[in-house]
Order: sequence, then structure tokens, then C-alpha cells
Amino acid sequence: MTKPAARRSLFEPPDIGQMATATKIVLYTVLLAWSAFVLFPIYWLIITSFKTIAAVNQGPYFLPWIDFEPSLHAWKELFVNDYRDTFRAYFNSIVISLSATALAILVGSMAAYALSRVKFAPNLITILYFVGLLALTGVAVGIYDVDWRVAAATAIALFFFLARAIGRLYQLRLQNGDILFWIISQRILAPIVVVVPIYMMFQSVRLLDTHLAIILTYTVINLPVVVWLMYDFFNSIPRDLEESAQLDGATMIGIFREIILPLSRAGLAATTLLVVILCWNEYLLALFLSTNKAQTMPILVAAMNAGERGILWWTMSAVIMIMIIPVVIMAILLQKYIAKGILVGAVKG
Amino acid sequence: MKNKDKGTAKSISIRSMNKFFQAVHVLKDLSLEVQAGEFLVLLGPSGCGKSTALRLIAGLESISSGELFIGETNVTNVLPKYRDIAMVFQSYALYPHKTVAENIGFPLKMAKTPKADIDTAVLAAAQQVELGDYLERFPGQLSGGQRQRVALARAIIRRPSVFLMDEPLSNLDAKLRGNMRAELKYMQSKLGVTMIYVTHDQIEAMTLAHRVAVLKDGTLQQLGTPKEVYSNPANLFVAGFMGSPPMNFISGAIDNESFTTKGVKLPLPGAPKSNQVTLGFRPEDCRIVKAGSGAMDAEVYTAELTGDQVLVTLQLHGSQIVSRMPKEFEIGDTQIAGIEVDARHLYLFDSESGLRITADSTR
Repeated sequence: MTKPAARRSLFEPPDIGQMATATKIVLYTVLLAWSAFVLFPIYWLIITSFKTIAAVNQGPYFLPWIDFEPSLHAWKELFVNDYRDTFRAYFNSIVISLSATALAILVGSMAAYALSRVKFAPNLITILYFVGLLALTGVAVGIYDVDWRVAAATAIALFFFLARAIGRLYQLRLQNGDILFWIISQRILAPIVVVVPIYMMFQSVRLLDTHLAIILTYTVINLPVVVWLMYDFFNSIPRDLEESAQLDGATMIGIFREIILPLSRAGLAATTLLVVILCWNEYLLALFLSTNKAQTMPILVAAMNAGERGILWWTMSAVIMIMIIPVVIMAILLQKYIAKGILVGAVKG
Repeated sequence: MKNKDKGTAKSISIRSMNKFFQAVHVLKDLSLEVQAGEFLVLLGPSGCGKSTALRLIAGLESISSGELFIGETNVTNVLPKYRDIAMVFQSYALYPHKTVAENIGFPLKMAKTPKADIDTAVLAAAQQVELGDYLERFPGQLSGGQRQRVALARAIIRRPSVFLMDEPLSNLDAKLRGNMRAELKYMQSKLGVTMIYVTHDQIEAMTLAHRVAVLKDGTLQQLGTPKEVYSNPANLFVAGFMGSPPMNFISGAIDNESFTTKGVKLPLPGAPKSNQVTLGFRPEDCRIVKAGSGAMDAEVYTAELTGDQVLVTLQLHGSQIVSRMPKEFEIGDTQIAGIEVDARHLYLFDSESGLRITADSTR
């Protein structure tokens, strides 16, 4: 049977499963407008980094070679005059972001896997003792100068005594959902609240302005994100697969390597990308924890704002440009896995 | 027991096995002896504990109390991978990121078999289930029946001594299910393995099993050959669960060696006096006759032609009675019809306990 000649109006789709011409026009107009809106700041950034001081101050100019003559002076300042600062900050950012991400993914995904597969039922009262005794030990050592070994031994003894004596009377137990919420609540907390205690802590162990301090802090603040995202991912892997592998003779490590890891690759890629970006952009904690040697890129950008020469828009734009590039490259590299992750679901009958 | 006696069928002995999930008693004192090479079906409605029993045998759940022997070995506390068991899951549990060949070869890979040996074994297993041409595909690219075969091949490649199957056919369409049923039966007898098969489908149980174990609420109701369970049910539950359409039940009383209820009086010589009994007879053991000439009269509800027979449903005091009639039978516009029951195929149960009451005249 031949199709009747298509004489559809602008508002009707030419065939089933296609879009009407009018719909297409509206759709692409909206998408183009939105893209322009989103991409314009980046364009603005690029041209500003090539503008002379005069071109910025007398602006606004939009078109290189037409409104203004491009100049490399900002890039020269960044890579020739101040190259030490630039490269140090760049290097710091890369080391800190990658290390913190690796640590957070490693620890966080293991925690998430455990939460998704093992039923925990810690006694609430026992947890309260533990936290209480920990605080008391800290006070005893820090304020009253008790020998830390004595304090720790006393606290451990007291903990076991209390857990056995009173812990049994109260059977209020937490569940995995409570633990998960507790972990997420760490992220809900505004970092500004803990920034001073964190500062003092690292000051007392003389780790201020070191990579280690920032890496550890970033790992901790990003753990909840990893746990939260990976928990959902691990939960979506059917338990049948693991049980089947178990019967097929796989060990725990075998199951993790052969089944869990390949199936959660997409989730790991997405989570890694997100955590890298969060570390890469972090400003507040880096501001407190680094003074000079361990400065990261966001600090460098902010510094452009506070020089005695006023705001250096041109140099700032150039710094931001080089800051964006690695993240874009990573997103492109990992995009393959993220897209694949949607397709590779578990097979259902 | 890890590698020796590979592939020889082993017996399974379940000795007063119990399972609790917190306070819920899921499996109550189950004892079963499965012969080496036997095809045993665990049959029951959903939630009866049959899948739990299978998972306990596989070692995926711990046994709360009781003992489990495979062959001569006590495996009550043995890890699943040392039990020499293969299991086919309801969802097939194929690894979606591995090809068919990798899926089938996975147990051997985990056993650190040399690559060349794996390849030969995979090919042999795949040919056995007619999947030779699909080795490079991923499970997502296969049909339901093909996935089922991959799961089967993955199970047989290890030549385990015991096969466990958890409703393996329930995700297939009716026609494929029939084919696979026949294939499973053929394969089991050819490989000669011990098979424990869980299903809620009594037709699968009837057709596949050497013996059927009927479970309800975690308790074993009856264990016997399909024929025994069908024609000699131990209680009301088994009688009602086996057979499609199910057995007809009429409640009444036994008085003066005859079954009586409103408008019905059936002589049952030798039946003990009782106030609450249930009379059962199968649809194939009763016939529709003219009103007044059978054992009882009932209102005609529907007549369904299924192709090879006519199922006539009648209503008697609010309960339905089905009679299986030859395909030539026509009910016409009859409103009230008589039911003639075969006196040799009557079953009598105590309404309260559900247990069979035997009388001289009942089976």
C-alpha cells in the first residue's frame, strides 16, 4: 500500500515519530538562544583576555580586530612575568583535586557499597557514648594536659564498660537509612561553620599551607557526595548478579572486580567528574588553609581582584581560561562512560 | 569435595531445616531426602518458603537450625562456592557487560581454568543449548528464551553435582515455556544431575518432577510422585492446588453414612459422622446431566470451549463447580442442570483441619 501524498501543514508532523516543522523551528530557536546565553560569558572571557587595558576601560567592545586590536599582554604577564605564581597554583590545583578525588572515590565508594549491601544496626546509645568519650578525651588531653595514653586507655575501658552495662538496656538501633542521612547531613552543613575549627586543627599539627591539609579537607567534605551518588548506583545493580557469581565460585574480590566495578563504571565516572569540579572550584577552605605555597587557582583568580593596581580584568580572564580547560577535557573524556552507563542496565527478562 | 567427583549426581538430605527472618518463621522444620539424579519440584503459592528453601540449599542464606547434607558431606555451614551447586535464577542473573561466551565461561574463569580449556568448554556448552552462533552477543541483544539458555549453559558448564532452579520459566511466554519445559526435562535426564526446581505452576510440577514437594506457609504438605499428589492429596490445600481447573469443593455434613447439604444427599458408605466436612471431586470426574437425574442440581453459570473440551461452570449455594465435558457437549439454554459425580473419585476432608477423611467409598 502506498502512502497518500503528504500534504501536511506546518503544524503537523510529516510522519509518525517526527516533529512538525513549526515545532522544529521553535525548538531550535529556543535551543540556540539558550546556548548563546550560556556561552556568551565564555566568549566575553576569551576576548577580554586579549584586550588591552584601554580596550577594557573604554569598552564595551565585542569584536576583535574590528572594535579593538587584540593584544597578548595579559598572557605575557601570566606566563612570562608571573609564571612562577601561575604554574605553582596550577600544579597545586591539579595535585590537590586529583588526590582528593581519588581518596574520596576510594573510601566513599567502599562505604556506599557496604551501605547498599550490608544491613547495619548500630545501637544509638553506644554511638552517643563513643562520641561523648571522644570529646572528653580531647578535653582532658587538650585543656587539662592529661597524658594522651592515659586518657585514651581510660576512655576505651569506660566505653566497653558502658556499652556492656547500659548499652543492653536501650535497644534503639540506627538503620542504613539513618547512617546515609547522617553522611549526607555532613554536606548540608555550611563549610563556613567549621572553617575556623579546621584552621585551628591544622595549625596545631603544623600543616597549614601544605597540600596534605587541603587534600584531607577536600576528601572529607566530598565523601558525602560520593557515598550518596554511588549508593544509588550500587543499589541499582541487582543482587542476583552477585549471588550468581558467588555460586559460580567468585571470591569477594572477584565479584567486586568482575561484576561490581564494570557495572558501576558509569557511576564512578560521573561521580569522579563532579568531585573533581567541586575540588577544582573550592575557594573558602583553600583561602583559610593556604597562604602561599599551597595556593590553588581560585585563590589566584581572587588575588587579581585585590592588587594595588585595581582589578586586572585581562589577566583574570586569562587565568580563568586556563582554569576551565582541564575540566572541559575531563568532561569530554569521561562523557563516553557517562553516556554508556545509561545503556548498560541490568538485563531483565 | 571441591574437585573430586565432579559431575556425578549427589543426593541431598535436608534434616529439620528451619529459617527465621527476625521473628518470622519462614521455613518450618523441613525434612526432605532427594535421591541422586532425581528431579524434585518444590511447589507452592508465592510466599510459601519454597524460594527460601532453595536459597538455603544454595548457601545464599544461613540455616537457622537443622542440617543439610550434599552427598555424604555436611554443608550446613559451608560457603556456596564449595557446595558444588549451580543455580539458575528467575531473572537469569546474566552479567550484562559480558558477552554470551564470557557469561558461560565465568565459572571456569573463576576456577582459574586455562583459557584454551575455557574456550572449548564454552563452545561445547553453547552447542548443547543451541547458542553456538550467539557467543559474541551481549545478553541485552538476546530474546528471553536465549537468555534462559545462556543461564542454563553457564550452569551446565561446571558439571555440578546439584542443579537448583528458581522459577526459571516464569519470564517466558506460554509457548516458549512449553518448549523449554520439555528441553529441561530432556537435559536433566541426559546429564543425570540432581535437580531441585522451584515453581508455583502446578503444570510445570506435574510434567517435570519425579517427585513433588508441596509447601504452604513454610510447612511441607505432601511429598510424592506427581501422580500420587494429584490423585491422592493429603489435605484440602494440596487437593485445591493441584489440577487446572482445580478440584470442586462442597461443604456439608456426614450423617448416617451419607454426605448432606442443602438439596444434596450422597450416600458414602463407611464415612464417620461429622458436622463439618468438605466433599471434593475433580472436574473430569463429574458430568452434566438433566436436572433431577444427577447427585445434585445446580444453576448453570457459563460454558467455555477451550478447544479440546468444554468447561461448564455451575453455581451451587454460592460456590462454583466446574465440570469438564467433551468438546461436542452443548449446554444450550439450560438454566438448571444436574451433576452426576463418579462415586469412585470422591474425596472427603475435615473442614476445620483440612485433613483427608478416608471412608470405604472414597479414595
